[in-house]
Amino acid sequence: MEVKSNENESFRLVYEEVFPVVMRVAYHVTYNMDVSEDICQEAFIRFFERDIEFKSVDEAKYWLIRVTKNLAINVVKRKSREKAMVDKIKKAPKVPIRSGEEVLISSETKTLVREAVEKLPEKLKSVLVLKEYADLNYKQIAKILRISESNVKVRVHRARKMLESMLDREEIDVS
Amino acid sequence: MCLDDQILNTYLDGELVEPWRTQVEEHLTYCNACKSRFEQLQSLHYLVSSSRLEDQEIEDHSKKVYQFIENNYISKKKRGFFSRDFRIKTPTLLAVAAAFIVIFVGALLINPKGAAQTDQLIPRVNVAEEGRVVQVKATDGLTVAQILDNFSLEEILKYLDSRGYEVDLRLKGLIPIDSVDNLL
Ligand SMILES: [Zn+2]
Repeated sequence: MEVKSNENESFRLVYEEVFPVVMRVAYHVTYNMDVSEDICQEAFIRFFERDIEFKSVDEAKYWLIRVTKNLAINVVKRKSREKAMVDKIKKAPKVPIRSGEEVLISSETKTLVREAVEKLPEKLKSVLVLKEYADLNYKQIAKILRISESNVKVRVHRARKMLESMLDREEIDVS
Repeated sequence: MCLDDQILNTYLDGELVEPWRTQVEEHLTYCNACKSRFEQLQSLHYLVSSSRLEDQEIEDHSKKVYQFIENNYISKKKRGFFSRDFRIKTPTLLAVAAAFIVIFVGALLINPKGAAQTDQLIPRVNVAEEGRVVQVKATDGLTVAQILDNFSLEEILKYLDSRGYEVDLRLKGLIPIDSVDNLL
């Protein structure tokens, strides 16, 4: 189905489907709800005003994710310059990772994981956020970020490796 | 040979292609070291993924942003003959009004010609002169939504304003903003 970005019906359709995804992307890059809301608003306004035709809802979605991710990364870059000093002092708390059956994770654990994701370097973070929070496959991520699939593969792996060490590898319970 | 993390992660994401996929599957059936490493990676993935922002945390923001875009962008381009810089925030919400809207137009510049124009502009709205007041009335037979589909109230007001009318707006049968959220 073709999608015209400033046709009210299409806009509404794309909005309903894509807003939660871009909000998640913005949030897991910036970890700030107000900032994320502004970013998503900006992304959809650009989408609407651009007056572009997309081949499918998915194509529109990729476009929106790319814009959102870029806006979010820019915010983070600006902010990180400001608080680089503060972060040096702050040290990450540890969280044990248990393997086996899936259990509901506590809000404390959630916070720790989010703090770890937040600390990832930009290139790893973009890929990981799209993988874990936007539920995209390697091919889709490659398309959005305009990098190769094998590059995506490597970055997902590196991001997880870094997260694992931040979340305290020693305490992993393999029993 | 045992499996490295890169391969296990790719396998975990369902992105490993044949014949490696089958090889990994087989290896995991007999190698405990790789199996437990795989489980660790699986747990990590689960831990990260389930730390996501939940849908219910997103809902309110979704509505808020949509409302903003609807008010400031979407409703602006319905008709081209009004300039687009006219800003009244609330009237867009009136599109969901269930009963009727009565617009009292100040009579300073009113004349039959003016009334006719109003009639043209707002199709099927009765224009009745009562002394020096023109009453534009839309009732059950002609739902407000019908009018506002074609012309936002903003646009109607803008038009009347541009004609030099004094507009006094009375609204009836409105649903409070809170309860119309599901329509947005
Ligand atoms: Zn092995």
